[in-house]
Amino acid sequence: MSSTAARPPVKPPVVQPGTGNNIIVNPCQRLNPILDHVRNVGKEFGDIVSDFQVGRTTGVLFLSLKYHRLHPEYIHTRIEKLGHSFNLRILLLMCDVSEHQEPIRELTKTCLINNITIMVAWFPEEAGAYLSTYKQFEHRPPDMIKERVDKDHLSILRTALTSISKVNKTDVETLRTSIGSFAEIASTPSSRLLSLPGFGQVKVRRMKDAFEKPFRNQA
Amino acid sequence: MLALLPFHKSILEDIHDPATSDFVLLARGLGLRRIVCTLMKIYDSPQSLTLLLNASPDEESAIGEELGVMGCRKPGLRAVGYEMGRKDRQDLYNQGGLVSVTSRILVVDMLQSDIPTELITGIIVLHAEKVTPLSLEAFIVRLYREKNKIGFLKAFCDEPEHITSGLSPLRTILKELQLRTVHIYPRFHEDIKKSLAERRADVIEVYPHLTESMKDIHTATVQCMTTTLAELKRSNTTLDLDDLNVDNAYFRSFDAIVRRQLDPVWHKVGPKTKQLVSDLATLRRLLTYLLSYDALAFHAYLETIIASNTTGAGGGQKQHQSPWLLTDAANIIFQVAKRRCYTLSKKKLTFPSADDLDPAEDEEAWAALDEIEFGAGAGRRAEKEKEKEKEKKWLPEGMDPVLEELPKWETLAEVMEEIENEMLRFESMGMSSSFTPGSNTVLIMTSSTRTSNLVSEYLESMDASAPPGQKGRKMMQRKLRSYLWWKSKLSGQKGDGRPPSRLPEKVGHVLDVGDAAQDEGVSEALKRKDRERVERQQNRRRVRGGAANASVSTRGKEKKNEVTAVGEGSMKDEADDIAEFLMTHGTSAAELLSFDDSGPPSLTAFDEDIARSLDAPEFDDVYGLLAPQQTVVVRSYSDDSDDMMLAEIQPRFIVMFEPNQDFIRRIEVYRSSSPGLGVRLYFMMYRNSSEEHKYLLGLRREKDAFERLIKERGSMLMPILEERRSGSNDAMIKTISSRIAGGRKELNKEPSSVIVDVREFRSSLPSLLHASGLVIVPATLTVGDYVLTPDMCVERKSIPDLVSSFNSGRLYTQCELMSVHYKQPILLIEFEEHKSFSLEAVSDMKSYVKPTGKYPQKKPNNGPADPDGPSAPSIQSKLVLLTLSFPRLRIIWSSSPYATCNIFADLKLNNPEPDPSTAISVGAEDDAERGAGVNAAAEELLRSLPGITAKNVHYVMSKVGSVRELCELGLEQVQDILGVEPGKTCYEFMHKSSRKKW
Repeated sequence: MSSTAARPPVKPPVVQPGTGNNIIVNPCQRLNPILDHVRNVGKEFGDIVSDFQVGRTTGVLFLSLKYHRLHPEYIHTRIEKLGHSFNLRILLLMCDVSEHQEPIRELTKTCLINNITIMVAWFPEEAGAYLSTYKQFEHRPPDMIKERVDKDHLSILRTALTSISKVNKTDVETLRTSIGSFAEIASTPSSRLLSLPGFGQVKVRRMKDAFEKPFRNQA
Repeated sequence: MLALLPFHKSILEDIHDPATSDFVLLARGLGLRRIVCTLMKIYDSPQSLTLLLNASPDEESAIGEELGVMGCRKPGLRAVGYEMGRKDRQDLYNQGGLVSVTSRILVVDMLQSDIPTELITGIIVLHAEKVTPLSLEAFIVRLYREKNKIGFLKAFCDEPEHITSGLSPLRTILKELQLRTVHIYPRFHEDIKKSLAERRADVIEVYPHLTESMKDIHTATVQCMTTTLAELKRSNTTLDLDDLNVDNAYFRSFDAIVRRQLDPVWHKVGPKTKQLVSDLATLRRLLTYLLSYDALAFHAYLETIIASNTTGAGGGQKQHQSPWLLTDAANIIFQVAKRRCYTLSKKKLTFPSADDLDPAEDEEAWAALDEIEFGAGAGRRAEKEKEKEKEKKWLPEGMDPVLEELPKWETLAEVMEEIENEMLRFESMGMSSSFTPGSNTVLIMTSSTRTSNLVSEYLESMDASAPPGQKGRKMMQRKLRSYLWWKSKLSGQKGDGRPPSRLPEKVGHVLDVGDAAQDEGVSEALKRKDRERVERQQNRRRVRGGAANASVSTRGKEKKNEVTAVGEGSMKDEADDIAEFLMTHGTSAAELLSFDDSGPPSLTAFDEDIARSLDAPEFDDVYGLLAPQQTVVVRSYSDDSDDMMLAEIQPRFIVMFEPNQDFIRRIEVYRSSSPGLGVRLYFMMYRNSSEEHKYLLGLRREKDAFERLIKERGSMLMPILEERRSGSNDAMIKTISSRIAGGRKELNKEPSSVIVDVREFRSSLPSLLHASGLVIVPATLTVGDYVLTPDMCVERKSIPDLVSSFNSGRLYTQCELMSVHYKQPILLIEFEEHKSFSLEAVSDMKSYVKPTGKYPQKKPNNGPADPDGPSAPSIQSKLVLLTLSFPRLRIIWSSSPYATCNIFADLKLNNPEPDPSTAISVGAEDDAERGAGVNAAAEELLRSLPGITAKNVHYVMSKVGSVRELCELGLEQVQDILGVEPGKTCYEFMHKSSRKKW
């Protein structure tokens, strides 16, 4: 349990897991219907402590709530066996019962103690997609979910100014063309702003609030 | 001020005692606002603090106004808004008096002890029907009762129909508000009956019959509804759809019923069911429009329905056509609706013989018409010449206008005549208005502003000498003209794909606006002026009292005079010219178009002119001249403020153009509270129509609701309001429990607490957490939404939040911050109760959040193909990426706020309590004034600048006061704050003048 860690012991007939581009499946999951829905990545069976190994440091345990209802102790033995292996430990939960509140609550607590992250899937397709996505994203930088840094000046200006409510892209164009730089816009008096097309009292007040009011109000 | 009737007084006697708490349920229209205001006036004193809860901004101002009239002016009712600082609020509460406050602010103030809860004299809750166990009001009451046992709580409600959800709805509300007494006053209550029966209004009921063609459409529509319902039932056999019958389908609440039934499975029902549900709404709308729209607008609306149904969003053939469109009944609807407007024929036919037209020929005729009139390729000039040739008739050849008018218009004309005669009779009898109360203003009430516009337009252009059914001919012809213009646009768009100036859908709904724009200039201007005047009137009401009863629409002649009186500027001439021009020339499409272009600017200028003259002191000279008998006020039904309107106008003649039971009661009350006033009410309702049916059903529903509530009150088990045990007891039991290895831990006597970000009070979770026995500590948190233990920090995301914060990248930053500052960062994904607990629903949502082309390089470096196919919901893959980036991040999947509560309680077990001051300072170390109020707009703006990241934003805020100050700094100074490289980027961004470069 202890030192097997991410790489299970090397046994002759088994392919060395954790290196290739395949998801390594624990033979005990052979009949799991979600395997059919793991697409676009290879699968191979291997002797691992988790149910699926979807990356060098990522292990997944699979649990169907229906099964959990019948054998509540099962998952605890599996978690115990898992020990401290893997950096990211996932419990893929198949929510296939209608009374899910209690088990999820209990599992949430268990997993928090054991440093396991829960992912819930409702359909086999979804669960399969999770597995394949984990494998595919193994080396993916998190750019997709990061705040996008737009490089060109115009788009930064647009994002900045439209963050003020009521200001839209057209207004940004108006401001840019008739006033100029960001600093100039910041110091434009209200009367000048009001004279621009599309700028009413409210919009100008919002802009002034954002530009000139102090960040912190002493309340 | 409005007088109180005996039953008002007896209600007040029942509830005025500040020692008791009550729930008052009054039938709508019987003057609830009057009671509330009187009650508030009783409690108004600087020594007491009375809070008004749940009032909408409109109600707030109306109540404040009414209180002002009643004499509590200084300081009267004061409203607490978001702008008010914490200190100001504290002062305000300490001053006492009447304060109206929103629930969200009050909750935070109560939790932070900014408001002396134990000193509150009482709370008045409006709209008590909205109180649910999840609502903030319930939370407020719990907090209030925790500290204050002697203060009163008066809850009011005038919508018994809404108290229906759940097994014993009344009890739920009572329990949440911790009340024990309910007073129910339906219209059939003894006192009310007695008070109102004494003086009955003189009611003349007029039941115009629907025309034959309207009847046909009506039956056909009902038939379509039945078919659609049957279809809906057939495709969802598992659902309990007993409530779904045509009767219920007349009401808007029907949609809510359907949604409630379908919500748990909404993600599973196919697009077909969704289509059916929306079809029902369309059909219901058709029924109302049939009775309130003029024939042309109705026809145009139908055409837009067809247009939007035949082509899908992508322009191609739509997948799921509405089934009702394919029925025979629908065919009848379309045919008859067209026949109400005009008939088409190659040779001249007289119009009633249109029945023998066959549809195919019809279509051909249309095609021909389109070609003739707006020839696809022909230039405008040629077109114009063509038009000129047959200038005498601007109508396309072979088109015979039928222009059926709504029967109510005719009736209205008769009624108006009768009223006029009646007035003359009064005058000849020497009863001048100075002796008898009330004015001769005629009040016409309609159900919507659209109808009231239509009615006033009709009255303006009415031709009294015309034969019955033709009186509005002029207006209808005008409408036909604009309809033709619109039609040409519709076909023009289809033809050459020219960018549309107005979308057909839009036209269908706001056709009247379009119509108005193309009306003759004078009436347009007048209408605008009238609108302005109504507004002014409302503002000035207090000051001017009865004198301001100037008309909303006046009869023809006065109108012209007024215009000359007002519009002295050249603008008026211009507007007149345009009008003249339009009247004399036949209007071709091109001309209409050009008018449309040139019209608005001149009119706005004209408007300004009027506004100026309105501002001028000679307001009275201009508008005070009209005698009340010449004025007709057309208004639509609104809420309790109608009472005030009645009291001010004091009309003797009221025409109810559409039935409305609330307003009937208002008239009863009005009549009873102004002695000596003879009120005559004309009540119009189509015989055997959906209108009649709806009205009667509405009456019955209200009566049933009351009966049910009275019954429930009779058999209700009064909730025993348990004393809330202070949290320490729980904690004690918890800590000495033998299941925890005894003695290993220090005895923890602190109550179990959770620190909650103030922005989170929008959701119901804090309230539920409090209800489950946790102590809620509101704080302005920089990192996370909830802090459970010193190590655990939770970021809550509802599903829509989750989607949007993934898209904006905000979630990544938040998780990053949590990971830096807490050992156990937790993301809470919270689904809604009664909604499906599944991410599938998200894939629906996603499709319109951002349609396509989001992941250009989705393929991983080593993966062979697109990971999860086109159908895979991307929210899942983003979650995967999130967990991969933050292996320590835990996710809580919670199916409802209730489940979250349990999970939180679980997680807090045996863990030390969080410390608010540390939680506030977390992530805000370099922020000198942490915890102070935040100018969110400025912070957001600052964050979006380049070089400024989530990490240094607080430091920047502590260094510079505002964005503008930052802009005024030199390059070195900016670099001092941000560092060399980011400082340079930021400075360059701010000072790059885009004009030169771009």
